[in-house]
Amino acid sequence: MKPKERRMPPLGTLLTYVLLIVAAFYSFWPILTMALEGYGIDLSPLFSGKAVRSVGGVPYYSGGIFPTPIFYLDAIRLGQFPKLLANTTTFAAVAIAVALAAGVIAAYALARPPIRGKGAISYLLLALRAVSPFAVVVPLYVNFTRNGLWDTYVGVGLAEDIVVLSVVVWMLRGFFTDIPREIYDAAAVFGATEGQIFRRVALRMVIPGIIVTGLFAWVLIWNDFVISEIMTGPAVKSVSVGVWSGLGDYGIKNVNFDDLNAGGFLAWIPAIAVMLAIRKYLAKGYSLGTASSKS
Amino acid sequence: MTTKTPRRTESYAYWYLAFVPLFAVLTLVEFYPLYEGIKLSLTGSSGGLSLSNYAQMLTDPAFFSAVGVSLAYTAGSTVLCIAIGLGLTFLVTQKVRGRSYFEAIYMFPLALSPIVAGVLWSPSSVWDDIQTFSHFILHQPYFNELAFSFYFPVMIISEAWEWAPLIMLVALSVVNSQSSQVFEAAELHGASPWQRFSMVALPGILRSPVMQFIIVLRMIDAMRAFEVPLAWANWVGYQEALGSPVDTISLFLYKLLFVPLYSFPIGLISAVAVALLVVTLVVAFALIRLMGRALSISGGR
Repeated sequence: MKPKERRMPPLGTLLTYVLLIVAAFYSFWPILTMALEGYGIDLSPLFSGKAVRSVGGVPYYSGGIFPTPIFYLDAIRLGQFPKLLANTTTFAAVAIAVALAAGVIAAYALARPPIRGKGAISYLLLALRAVSPFAVVVPLYVNFTRNGLWDTYVGVGLAEDIVVLSVVVWMLRGFFTDIPREIYDAAAVFGATEGQIFRRVALRMVIPGIIVTGLFAWVLIWNDFVISEIMTGPAVKSVSVGVWSGLGDYGIKNVNFDDLNAGGFLAWIPAIAVMLAIRKYLAKGYSLGTASSKS
Repeated sequence: MTTKTPRRTESYAYWYLAFVPLFAVLTLVEFYPLYEGIKLSLTGSSGGLSLSNYAQMLTDPAFFSAVGVSLAYTAGSTVLCIAIGLGLTFLVTQKVRGRSYFEAIYMFPLALSPIVAGVLWSPSSVWDDIQTFSHFILHQPYFNELAFSFYFPVMIISEAWEWAPLIMLVALSVVNSQSSQVFEAAELHGASPWQRFSMVALPGILRSPVMQFIIVLRMIDAMRAFEVPLAWANWVGYQEALGSPVDTISLFLYKLLFVPLYSFPIGLISAVAVALLVVTLVVAFALIRLMGRALSISGGR
């Protein structure tokens, strides 16, 4: 019935596809459930003929398939999703600008010139990656509430650098060390000064790397919850906090589960879009630039 | 090293200036807050230098409960995460059409904010469907979603579900850097796809410093897990109680910080934060040693 397979016995191929599809189902089914719950669609009736939702361990019959865009409209209009998005983008821009301004030159200095103490600085940054944001953000919160930086774009942006700064420096360092040594040597042979080698050779070659690093940092900030939960108030509330703790300016726990799901799904879309765009570099980003970026 | 031209090292000294902006930012957001936190933790109620906050922390059973929960959570979620991640790696390294699309789908959970992972796997979301399926199709009794034996494994599954794609991505980057000739040789000798993965690719993956490094990072992040336990504290009704079975160290801290009932004991909070810092730094020490090996292999200089 099927044409002869060359590489694998048909049964094995079939089994592989079945497993691949099961794993795909496992990966996207919870997200699909979220997207659908946001539309007021509860898939339970498909399984039972009746809808059951258990609340506090006690099953009660509800839900069903009543498709409505109302919860998404709630999230966007009433929940001010665009405002949350603008907030997060603004303080993420502050955080990334600061991290890149401080990080690019430092990453180059860690990668290229033969100076002492580079290892110590690299390891220090690594240790800071391991420090729990909580250990830092508690005193920072006390500090920022005193001098008025709490719940401002600059304050939250700086606080987000706790999460992204060491990642940015290590990732950029990886991009600088990926430049073949011969290129630096060639530039030096042609009489370029160290400053010229940095500005005209290295910096231009890592511009794509800087863009990837910035996007990766953006995903980390977009999905960060710990720091934005503590450092943002009603004024600059982030998307992840808004989705969780009640959308918009209400500042109360979101009681409507469908709203929560709608908001969660909306927040996921930009993150997965950026991640798929830089997917070749994700392993590099998460491993602080040590994994190879070949794909 | 061979092509290195002779240079005077002192001509490079000005490169230390390159670290000035970095250290300025680090001082503002890391060093100074850390210093302040340690100072706060050592300040007693009377204002003088005192270890009373640490004494209070170490006599609080809720703190030890939180440490225990964190350890169990870390062990469970890391092991499950690695197992799922390697399983996904096995699947996407098979010679099938559209593996790139499957790989993209498997990455979906990684893009979620961790707090949303706590929402997705909640009793009213995914478990609602599973409950219904098991009750009406498989005719099983309802399971009690408020039982510890139910929700703790589910929390671990949520955490592993979200981060397994990361293990897959790093494992794939290791597999891609392995020599394809070895796989072809294994295939010629009649190794099955599973044998090719478990006997050729897997030892390389597990032995690679990058993979070990990412596993240690994952353990550190699980040790300070916050979002999934916070969500579950809401689902199972432990929003305020300290020392509950969902309280990880981070959640314990968060409750002390924001539940008005505890009247913001900043000294104790700082002491717990410092304890969390020490725990993560001890793990980080192991990480640093691994990182040294990772660098020597991945082409870093």
